Amino acid sequence: MIEIKNLTKRFPDSRGGTVHALSEVDLTIADDEFVTVLGPSGCGKTTLLRALAGLTGWDEGDILVDGEPVRTPGPERAMVFQDFALLPWADVLDNVAFGLQLRGEARSRRHATARELIELVGLDGFEHRLPGELSGGMQQRVGLARALAVQPRVLLMDEPFGALDEQTRRILQEQLLTIWERRRLTVVFITHSIEEAVLLGDRVVLMSPRPGRIAETVSVDIPRPRSFDLRGLGRTEEFSTLTTHLWERLRTMHPDRAGAHL
Amino acid sequence: MTRRHGPSALLPPLSGLLAGGVLWEIVAHTADAAFLPPLTKVLARLAELTADGKILPSLLSSVINLGLGLAVSLALGLTLGTLMGRYRTVEAALGIYMYALLTAPSLVFAPVFFSLFGPGRTSIVAVVVMYSLFVIVITTASAVRGVPAQLLEMGRVYGAGERHLLFNIVLPAALPMAMAGIRLGVGRAVAGMINGEMFIAVVGLGQILTEAGGSFDSTTVLAVLLVVVTVALVAIGITHWADRRLNGWLPETSRT
Amino acid sequence: MTTAGPAPRSRPPGRIRRLLGTDLPYQLLTLVVVAALWEGYARTHDSILLPTFTETAAATVELLGEGELWRAAWLSNQALVLGFLTAVALGVPAGLLLGRFSTVERYTDVYLSILLVTPMAGIIPLLVMSVGFGLTSRVILVALFSVVMAVTNARAGIRQIDPSLIEMSRTFGASEAQIWRRVLIPGAMPAIMTGVRLALGRAVTGMVVVELLMVSVGYGGLILTYRSHFDAPALYAVVVIVLSEAVLLISAARWIERKLTPWAPSHTSPRSTE
Repeated sequence: MIEIKNLTKRFPDSRGGTVHALSEVDLTIADDEFVTVLGPSGCGKTTLLRALAGLTGWDEGDILVDGEPVRTPGPERAMVFQDFALLPWADVLDNVAFGLQLRGEARSRRHATARELIELVGLDGFEHRLPGELSGGMQQRVGLARALAVQPRVLLMDEPFGALDEQTRRILQEQLLTIWERRRLTVVFITHSIEEAVLLGDRVVLMSPRPGRIAETVSVDIPRPRSFDLRGLGRTEEFSTLTTHLWERLRTMHPDRAGAHL
Repeated sequence: MTRRHGPSALLPPLSGLLAGGVLWEIVAHTADAAFLPPLTKVLARLAELTADGKILPSLLSSVINLGLGLAVSLALGLTLGTLMGRYRTVEAALGIYMYALLTAPSLVFAPVFFSLFGPGRTSIVAVVVMYSLFVIVITTASAVRGVPAQLLEMGRVYGAGERHLLFNIVLPAALPMAMAGIRLGVGRAVAGMINGEMFIAVVGLGQILTEAGGSFDSTTVLAVLLVVVTVALVAIGITHWADRRLNGWLPETSRT
Repeated sequence: MTTAGPAPRSRPPGRIRRLLGTDLPYQLLTLVVVAALWEGYARTHDSILLPTFTETAAATVELLGEGELWRAAWLSNQALVLGFLTAVALGVPAGLLLGRFSTVERYTDVYLSILLVTPMAGIIPLLVMSVGFGLTSRVILVALFSVVMAVTNARAGIRQIDPSLIEMSRTFGASEAQIWRRVLIPGAMPAIMTGVRLALGRAVTGMVVVELLMVSVGYGGLILTYRSHFDAPALYAVVVIVLSEAVLLISAARWIERKLTPWAPSHTSPRSTE
């Protein structure tokens, strides 16, 4: 279980004032839950994820994972990055085995694990390619396999499909859900896409900017396994009600609307 | 290339320099070695040499060598580079030699120039050209090659001929990157100037260096070196300034 | 999803090898034109100081059979190899540290720029005064010539590493030592290798400069001897041989660089990072 209590983080701004990147964020995430965090840019959603990963500190509040306070990165949490963050000089196999290598696992063992995960994400045959030889979608599948290889209990995903084109993005969303249903683990998934948030999440956490705080938490009661026939899913009342509602909320906080008096 | 602006950006390098100067003074006094006189002594010698009228004429002579060499390198380098970047055959004929000469030890040509032009200004200027020409040629060529194809297409659509394309599109678009080569060329030209003057040893700061070095007068050597470093920094500063001026108007013209 | 990764950069300058394949006729043409002009000019001017192309070629072949040349080559290359290795051994680690710890770098940057613009030849007299005319002074000078390239490129190599790779490693619990070993050093490797290649070029320059200006041994000594004997063909022949050695060494370094860092974009020339 992840407990985020009263999390507050401030930055000094360029004019000597203070910006609240996060303000009194409270959120509890159950084991094996898939939570998507949605919000416009500047709402602190990435800061929240980086805090969860232990990559950045904060000013007030606590983050507990299974009762243990988070201060630094830990083995029970793994992260998938928006820009993939693959080692350009290492092949797919070594990239996937990277986390295990850092833990000092023997070469043959970590490669065996890596091969399993490469197969899981459907990249068998590409073990010895370099990241530069892969398409964006394939690179992100390597990133996913690398995160899963360390057998985390929590998967932190920072707009993982944001840099991909629409078709690739849909295929990867589907793969992610299939994998998640097979090996249950907690997922915190950051996105700025309303459809993606509703499509993937058990719950959608909507954040608003200035100060970054949770505006609303919405449960998504679409049964799993979810249909990826987009026409079908789009037509369900639940899906369209939720996306319309979220869009209404997001629209009011969008800077191009709220700050039209430039 | 300037990463930070404003007076606060100057603080670290200035305090670094100051600390280095103090360190030099202390080390020189404690080590008391003939080859490392204290900074104060070097500065005093510099003032002395200037008052005796030894520095300024040599400095002028060196700057003329530098200026002439750079002018030749610029004219020749920009022309050759543009031709290489624009015409496949020129690139094919010259490219490999330009690369080879870029990395070759340029001073090895000094004896050759000496035999061709004799001990005089021409030989030194030729060494300066050897040092600075090739880096300008190569960067200009790749800058010209890197001009976006759609700009050229646009030009053709509006009926520009080769001459128009070259002067109104290719050269302005290639200039910012070519300036990078020119900056490197200026740095190398200063080295060429000093090395050429030291080898041919008839005029300029290099001649004083060779003379003082021959008589193991380390104070004079360091005093002249301070002048040389200043010349180099000023030359590079001027190039930076020119670069900024040119970059200032460039985006506007490429937008039209 | 089969189309691979980023589009290749248009016409990278690592084209020496490719040119050899397709451009050979043009290159030979250039060579012939230069040789013909040289021959014609030298014949019409008939100076004792200016040999013809054919005289130079003959002298080069002849010189390659002489023990005198090989003794000079041995002397010169001793200083070259020792100085170059010293520069790499000291310069690369220094550059890596400067790249990682930017506060140190801000205070020392000004010295690197000065070192970059100072004509090293100027300090030869000081070197000779402190360590004499022997091998040591030549080694130090060669090292000074080449160390700047090793430092600046290693530093740029660290600076251009995508910070998200370091962050990614930290999410997997990497220690600073592990980050160095798994991310920083491999990430900087292409730039380090470029620096090593450029340092080699500068080392050859240093070798020639010190021998021509102050310590007349090796190749430089040979050039000065032939000059005083007015043996112009032999003088030109040494120049040709020195240039050939430089080109050969640098081509070899370029080849090794490409073998060792196949993932690197072929454009890794020294350029400042933002």
